[in-house]
Amino acid sequence: MISKKVILTGSFGVGKTSLFNRFIYQQFSDKYMTTIGVKVNKKEITADGEEVSMLLWDIAGELSQDKVPASYFLGASGIIYVVDLSRPSTFENMVTDVEYLSHLLPDSSLIIVANKLDLLSEEQLENIQQSVAQKWNFATSAKTGENVEDMFIELAKKLIANHW
Amino acid sequence: MTNGQLQEPQDEAVLMAQLKEILLREDRSALEELQRTLNEKQLLAEKINPIVEDHLTYLKQNFPKEYAKIVNRMVEQKLKSSQTEILDVIYPVMGKMINKYITFQFQEMKDSINARIDAFFSKQGIFWWIRNKIFGIDNAEMLLSSLDTPIIEEIFVIQRDSGLLYGSATLYPTINRDVVAGMLTAIKSFVEDAFEREHEDLEMIQYGSYKILIENMPSHYFALAMSGSISNTEGAALRNQIIDFIQENELLQSEHFDTVSQEKISQALDSQFIAPQRERLQKIKIKQNPTK
Repeated sequence: MISKKVILTGSFGVGKTSLFNRFIYQQFSDKYMTTIGVKVNKKEITADGEEVSMLLWDIAGELSQDKVPASYFLGASGIIYVVDLSRPSTFENMVTDVEYLSHLLPDSSLIIVANKLDLLSEEQLENIQQSVAQKWNFATSAKTGENVEDMFIELAKKLIANHW
Repeated sequence: MTNGQLQEPQDEAVLMAQLKEILLREDRSALEELQRTLNEKQLLAEKINPIVEDHLTYLKQNFPKEYAKIVNRMVEQKLKSSQTEILDVIYPVMGKMINKYITFQFQEMKDSINARIDAFFSKQGIFWWIRNKIFGIDNAEMLLSSLDTPIIEEIFVIQRDSGLLYGSATLYPTINRDVVAGMLTAIKSFVEDAFEREHEDLEMIQYGSYKILIENMPSHYFALAMSGSISNTEGAALRNQIIDFIQENELLQSEHFDTVSQEKISQALDSQFIAPQRERLQKIKIKQNPTK
């Protein structure tokens, strides 16, 4: 089994911790509690017949060079960048944030996740998809669990491919 | 007065009285009975007691449901308003508990000193005594320093940037060590970034008598959770032991590590750092309780 560090980042309130809790504990809470600093947990998953131990770092709040210690990102093999489908403002920094992360961690696997899918109709989703410059890889709902497991399995596959 | 004539008012009053007497006879006797019941204690008790008893039984059964909130509020208010009085009441009890704890600690210290004194008068003890005399070391200091020797309770080897665990060993089972390694790295990263001390690393976290010593290497770091006080000499000896460990374990140089290498490193850590502590603790236990 290989071990990899994965970071969850994105603007505040986009649902990073909810995705983290959904994936680790299969739980969801409507109550919003902001993360202080960073929260670390581990989960082992199997993808392509290979076991991966993911050490997930749920990093609090805004991704900005002066708000989060850059060292939190160091050594990460996987990045999950989260935006909130119900809050268009969270898309504003997506391009620059993704560029910053790609520059900081050039060898890591990046997945862009548009969360809170349950709050949108299909039509609204299509409209948003067409209006944003940077496309997301997965639209998820931490509330219903839709696509959450699939997203992590996809990331695990990328981590395995990069490892060998 | 003749037949067919109107009756006189006096006659009317008499007749009315007679009529009342006839009509209200039963009511009057009931009223008299009631008055008698009310005036005679025994009779009143016979009537009321069953009702009161029923109510008391109901209260006994339903008191928490009916009055819990009120009583709780009253107790809370009373506790708030009478803190001094409460302290006066519990102080003697607390004093006794503290006294008991201190006595217990003194007893432990006394037992430990006795064990040291026994060892002191052995062959090796006499050798140490001569040595202390020659080098001017105070015997009491020597005894006290030997009472508080450091114990490595846990050891972690953690990849420096990612916080991934290379290996770990522990005296006591703890929570998920991967998570501990990750959080420890997050704390370390935060401190090093927040205070912007270039090329300086966090080397120790201390809370109470418990310390986490951190020995930083270029690609990973060692974290040793220790109890007891550590002298500079002991610290230097530990550092040397860690350097020897790195030289002996090539796995630590590898960037790609897996659970197999993690297990191998954990075993090596256990045999070199934790197993000696386990043996030492076992010996102390036997010395303190030779019968067991």
